[in-house]
Amino acid sequence: MISRLNLLVQIAVRNLLASTVNLLIGGLILFGTLFFVVIGSLLDSLNQSMARSVIGSVAGNIQIYSSASRDDLSLFGGMGGDPDLAAVNDFPKLKAELEAIDNVKTVVPMGNSGALITAGNIVDVTLERIRNLVRSGEGASVDQALNALSSTERKARLDSEIAHLRQIIAVLEGDAKKARAILSETAVEPEALAALEKVSTDAFWQQFDDKPYDALEFLENRIAPQVTDAQMLFIRYVGTDLDAFQRSFDRMEVVDGQPVPPGQRGFLIAKFLYEDQLKLKNARRLDKLHDAVAVGRKIADDDELKRFVRENRSQTRDIVLQLDGLQTKVFVEKLQKFLGSSEKELPTLLTSFFETTDANLEARYGFFYRELAPLLQLYRVRVGDTLTIKAFTRSGSIQSVNVKVYGTFAFKGLEKSPLAGATSLMDLMSFRDLYGYLTVDKKEELAELQKSTGAKAVDREHAEDQLFGDDGATVVAEATPGVIQEDAQLTGMGRKLRQEDLLKRVYTPAEINQGVVLNAAVMLKDGAKLDQTLAAINALSEQKKLGLKAVSWQTAAGMLGQIITVLRWVLLFSVGFIFLIAMVIINNAMMMATLQRAQMIGTLRAIGAQKSTVLGMVLIESLVLGVLFGGVGMLLGSAIVAALHSHGIAAPNDVAYFFFSGPRLLPDASAASLAVAIGLILFVTVVSTIIPAVLATRVSPLRAMQADE
Amino acid sequence: MSAIVTIKDVVKEYSLGTTVVQALRGVSLVVDKGEFLSIAGPSGSGKTTLLNLLGCVDTATRGLVEVAGKDTAKLTERELTNLRLNTIGFIFQSFNLVSVLTVFQNVEFPLLLQNTLSAGERKARVTSLLEQVGLATHLKHRPNELSGGQRQRVAIARALVTDPMIVLADEPTANLDSATGQQILDLMRSLNQSKGTTFIFSTHDHKVMRYANAVVRLADGKVIGREKPEEAVAHAIGELSAPVEALPS
Repeated sequence: MISRLNLLVQIAVRNLLASTVNLLIGGLILFGTLFFVVIGSLLDSLNQSMARSVIGSVAGNIQIYSSASRDDLSLFGGMGGDPDLAAVNDFPKLKAELEAIDNVKTVVPMGNSGALITAGNIVDVTLERIRNLVRSGEGASVDQALNALSSTERKARLDSEIAHLRQIIAVLEGDAKKARAILSETAVEPEALAALEKVSTDAFWQQFDDKPYDALEFLENRIAPQVTDAQMLFIRYVGTDLDAFQRSFDRMEVVDGQPVPPGQRGFLIAKFLYEDQLKLKNARRLDKLHDAVAVGRKIADDDELKRFVRENRSQTRDIVLQLDGLQTKVFVEKLQKFLGSSEKELPTLLTSFFETTDANLEARYGFFYRELAPLLQLYRVRVGDTLTIKAFTRSGSIQSVNVKVYGTFAFKGLEKSPLAGATSLMDLMSFRDLYGYLTVDKKEELAELQKSTGAKAVDREHAEDQLFGDDGATVVAEATPGVIQEDAQLTGMGRKLRQEDLLKRVYTPAEINQGVVLNAAVMLKDGAKLDQTLAAINALSEQKKLGLKAVSWQTAAGMLGQIITVLRWVLLFSVGFIFLIAMVIINNAMMMATLQRAQMIGTLRAIGAQKSTVLGMVLIESLVLGVLFGGVGMLLGSAIVAALHSHGIAAPNDVAYFFFSGPRLLPDASAASLAVAIGLILFVTVVSTIIPAVLATRVSPLRAMQADE
Repeated sequence: MSAIVTIKDVVKEYSLGTTVVQALRGVSLVVDKGEFLSIAGPSGSGKTTLLNLLGCVDTATRGLVEVAGKDTAKLTERELTNLRLNTIGFIFQSFNLVSVLTVFQNVEFPLLLQNTLSAGERKARVTSLLEQVGLATHLKHRPNELSGGQRQRVAIARALVTDPMIVLADEPTANLDSATGQQILDLMRSLNQSKGTTFIFSTHDHKVMRYANAVVRLADGKVIGREKPEEAVAHAIGELSAPVEALPS
């Protein structure tokens, strides 16, 4: 049997090599297989890398959310903003149920949303400092350290702050005058300009000493609103159990600052967002130029880098506004010395300084961070600051919470990815506050209020009687007009709930878990068993009426998760097209070959070969063709993939970091894609040979007797 | 002697469009074991059709064809193929070797189809046969590296390798020069004598007829006589010369 097979294979191989058409077909199969293996492996690796990115950054292996939700979960946001998710109310029960499933490692509660953060504009911040200094002169500042200053020290600091403010005013006045000159008389309101002119006179500042509060009020009302530098930023965040998050998403690492202490409220800003949105723009652009030049890009012939230089030169206002008189002087001196210039105006010096080229970039980058940056506030929000975060609650009202920024964080390998770095982290308590859900604090506050006022719960049915009936309900308090004395009136729990106390409160894990979450990440022990676990969760939810919907990370990632699927379809379509052509050619060539070899086939039939032998011979011939050339294609493809693996494919841009799950993609020829390639080759060759093979079996042994023409 | 082939009142008709052509018109013939029989007749007399029926590559329209005791009309296609494989050897006018296989592989092929011998036994049998036909040194040659005579000797070895009861040869020397043709006939006759294999070969060449024990002469699809070779040759020469004489001088 084996000898016969061996002989049929030999016939096949020799027939193959005897025809150039076969070489053409072989070439097609070789190319198709190579293409499939290389592109298929790249897509597989991309899929795995992206899975690592999505799973490791925010999604976990599986996401669960309430099946009563109006929209599907989309972790990275969708076309129409945040999906409308129903709340999952009893998270502790759910967590216990899910963690009882074999492959589930842990369940991390979450709520994804967006919010606005504000950090006040530069004039507001400076005025607040001046006001505090003035109040400290009366011993009335909230900052005890300021109250303790000697009058000389206070005077020196006040003078420096006022100099800074006057510097800002000078810049604003210059801007306004330029705007009037360039645009039109009406480009700047006359009142605004008049206010600026007023506060830039020495007379105004001489009066400041006598009536500081009047002057401050004028500045706050008339000057601060003229500074339009956007200090409002939209951020996406995940409200989560921060301890559980840090334990479960092991690629997460704190870059600046420290993790939020266990059980406390707090905020961790995504490092990418911190650099990209909160850093002084000039410094950020210098960083980008520095990074680009480090990977071989040239400012001279790169439009994007040229734009950075242009913007750095024209947008120096952020720096100028930050500096007080003394600092301005230091800046001017340093820049004059560095540039060898006698120019006295800081904006002009900065414009010259930011004229960076391929030749001088490194020196200027170094100088900036060594000499200038220490005098600047590089980030709009600093680690340790308390942020006021505003968001729309589910009912549409605006809610705000104060949270302390403990640090910044990034996911290992995804430091440069805008996608992975777009989402910051917030404690679950603050999230519930922001989103308008009842937190443990609010519950306690309500109970306290109920107790202190003697209020009792009234059900809907008896509400009218109980509230307005004449059963002698006692009056517990009467409203009186007057000024609210916050400190005096807030007592008991209400006082305890003041923001500064909230920031310091430590919550127990039970308190954190108790309450509403919108979704939760399910981390698996074995990520390969995703489908089974998904089915198990859905079955459990069905059985125990948990009202849950479980989706894979890919589905939870929304459109992002579909990209690879789309690319895979494109690949299959292309390979399908190549193989379709191969099938048509193989079919035609084998038909021709069968007709040409009719006498040989007839002879074999005459000397005793059964039809099945002839069928086998033709099929084997095609299979040998497929296996030989397909095999070479697979080997070459695997070699190319191995070469790509050893060098790695560098991420061409920041977005690719997320898809590559790091700076380089290391593709592997997966067993699955090789197996699919083999299947494809077998399918193509066998299907395309069926008709010629059947035709061959119909060749009569009589053909052997006919003389060769 | 016992009959190995019995043909009785065989008619073979072919349809050519709407016309039915009778290639054989009631042929009867008995071939005994060990015969070295020639079927002779001019072109179109039905030699090849008769050979096809004897070789079980075709079936009769009517009449009985019995090969090795089996009525071929009652056999399935698969059984006919097995009958050909195990009972009949073929030698073709155009040699019909598989061009991509070596001499050895061509001869070995029927044994592989039979699948009864071990590789060693096959090798011994093929080598011995190729020695007998004088091609022991050409085992690895391809057919296109051989002369016409050598190719036909390979074909003879292939026909005999399964030790068949009957070897059918369709004009075995038609594509050979006369000296080579003579060698091939000598080889066939010596194998007939040494192995006792029945040889039936068609020819229209009177020189070839001389080698036979008996000659069955066909004309217009009918047997017109079973004769000794010399009688047949005389008839054949007569038939051949008649039209020449009839030509206007």
